[in-house]
Amino acid sequence: MQTAPHQIDQNIWLYVKLPQLAIEAVTTNTTILLKEVPVAVAYSHKNAQRIDCCNQSAKAWGVDPLMSVSTALAICPDLTVLTKNVQQEQQLLQQLALIAYRFSPEIIIDTDGLWLDLSGCAQLFNGYNRLLKKLYTQLCRQSVNATSGVGKSPMAAKLLCSTKFHQYLPDSGEIQCALMTTALNTLPSTNKQQQNFKQLGLTTIGDLLALPRSALSQRFNSELMDTLQQLQGDKPCLLTRFKPANEFHSAVQNPQGLYSKESLLFPMKTLLQRLYQYLMARQCYSRKLVWRFEPLLGKHQFMTVRLSGSNHSGSSLLSLSRIQLERLELPSSIEQVSLFCDQFTAMPGLSFDLFGDQMSLQENTAELIDNLNARLGAEALSRPTINTEHLPELAGNIGAIDQSSDPEQQPGQTQKPLWLLPKPAPIKLHNQQLYWRKPLTIVSGPERLCGNWWQSEQQRDYYLACDSKGARYWIFRESTNKRWFVHGIFA
Amino acid sequence: MSSEPLLDSLLLRHDTWRGRNRSLRKHVVATGNNSLDGLLLGGWPVSALTELVTQQDGIGELSILLPTIKHYTSEDKLCVWLDPPYQPYAPSLVNAGIPLDKLLIVRSKNSKEWLWAAEQSIRGKALLFAWSNKAQPRYSALRKLQLAATESLAPAFLFSPHNALKTHSPALLRIELESLEPNALSITLHKLRGKMPGAKIQISVGDVMAERMLLDKLPVNIHYPKSQQSGYPLSKKDDLQSLNT
Repeated sequence: MQTAPHQIDQNIWLYVKLPQLAIEAVTTNTTILLKEVPVAVAYSHKNAQRIDCCNQSAKAWGVDPLMSVSTALAICPDLTVLTKNVQQEQQLLQQLALIAYRFSPEIIIDTDGLWLDLSGCAQLFNGYNRLLKKLYTQLCRQSVNATSGVGKSPMAAKLLCSTKFHQYLPDSGEIQCALMTTALNTLPSTNKQQQNFKQLGLTTIGDLLALPRSALSQRFNSELMDTLQQLQGDKPCLLTRFKPANEFHSAVQNPQGLYSKESLLFPMKTLLQRLYQYLMARQCYSRKLVWRFEPLLGKHQFMTVRLSGSNHSGSSLLSLSRIQLERLELPSSIEQVSLFCDQFTAMPGLSFDLFGDQMSLQENTAELIDNLNARLGAEALSRPTINTEHLPELAGNIGAIDQSSDPEQQPGQTQKPLWLLPKPAPIKLHNQQLYWRKPLTIVSGPERLCGNWWQSEQQRDYYLACDSKGARYWIFRESTNKRWFVHGIFA
Repeated sequence: MSSEPLLDSLLLRHDTWRGRNRSLRKHVVATGNNSLDGLLLGGWPVSALTELVTQQDGIGELSILLPTIKHYTSEDKLCVWLDPPYQPYAPSLVNAGIPLDKLLIVRSKNSKEWLWAAEQSIRGKALLFAWSNKAQPRYSALRKLQLAATESLAPAFLFSPHNALKTHSPALLRIELESLEPNALSITLHKLRGKMPGAKIQISVGDVMAERMLLDKLPVNIHYPKSQQSGYPLSKKDDLQSLNT
């Protein structure tokens, strides 16, 4: 049964290295395009500014990492030097980890890369090669440069990391061969150990592993033995695994400032794409989005978008936010846009309808309510509610759409009108003739309805009346002061 | 003899208008009243805008639509009431068998919002009831709604005041509702594809109340004023049918 090239039981770790992480982290949250110009990121070390990372066009000029900034500027006067920001690098890694989380349940975040445990993930994606291809497309969409390495352990994967992203999985023989021929100086070890390796004439990892373990443990300390065990996957990796955060928060900065609502849509789209990745990783829908718009000067402004929780694709969230943004009055220039989300509902288990009618109908309804809510505001939407009360204005009311009413209502015997006047309108009584718009005639009645004596002491006799044109009204006479009112219209 | 193939090819064309097209009957939803179904060639047209012009409120204009609301809400469709003139009274809706959570009342602030909400509701596959209280919508606005409705699977109803009859309407169906005597609703057809305008029927709405009690003892007049009682322009027709709501 040796048909499958990769056995399921073996461990496969993928290391995704981001060689340009320092630049990408600093430039990703801004909308400046820095693809073509030479860019470098510098860090301060002992009062000196040194280049940490530079892009391809800077390298073409001869700029190299570890070079001092003054030298680099002398070589390449057009070089854009940015300051290294470790916090932003971590944020970018977190975003990428969310994407990787859709491919593997075990993610470890490194300083400039990610580990993915791919063992057993092949089934879902119909093979490792398809998985790698999909992962690569997803990473490319985030516009990051990625290279990869595959090994039996996290450490081996990192050691075997090459200069490009491999979209196929090497078989275990190839991996073993590559590991054995890797130079020993890449192995994490002390300077003294490296000297020892040289004195022993060991150049590759294969040379080291060929020696008997007992001899090695006598010659070297236990730390190297641990390293070797981790390298071969005999010892589990104890680094903390990545877990999606409980809240989503992300921001996009634009130092130049955004002056129109149309230009705000670009950073908003980016943030919503990040939210989508987060929601997919956590398998949930958001209930509420909170946008924060920060101007250069002055007070920031919030915008809350409420969602019915059935819709989570980036485009529909964007159109909802856009509708609501049109109603918002913003300061003239916005520097930072941030998105915050902490209310979620679990994604319902999708059971597909064979004909697809029911599903799309419910989605349509939820989308419609969300749309109306965003454009007209929550106060414009309401729903009739019913209560077990006697007075009509208490029995039937208008409530907010998320308010549920008591459906247990006994169907009444008498005919009730479809329209209720918000406030009973007084009727003129002139010469024993009732007038409201036109002369009224009583057709049937009365039905006595009383209010709760502890709230309002009201006794009303309701009649059905109609006018000469055939319109029918629900009128009542208060028994205390004998005054007549119109309360409903039989539409 | 060459006219016959020409006629056939003309009839095969999609845009050839045929007077009494039987296929029209497929795209209707029954009104729940036989004589009204007869007037409307089968029922309310689906995927189209229907305009109901009412002489005044309270003549039973909404109760003829209750079976339609019940039909669609039982199919889990949302029913949007856009700018209703009064507050819908929940107990009578429940009595008619309509689930309240499928109703949505929307209030617009201006005619722009009104048109937007109406269009959104139609495109959102909801059953739309719209009242044009503030100002009669322009022809182009209604044309927009009619076009949106052709892609929807539900009818859309527009309630217009009486003076709307002076202007043209892009609605597929336009009927006028008036009541000349209590409990009788007279419906005049003004526009319907496939039928000549002018047809008129009368249906009864509401129950004629049996329990007349103590009315004589009331301190008010229970009869019409004499001047109003004479001379109805329309006599009661034979095809009077009762509508139980």
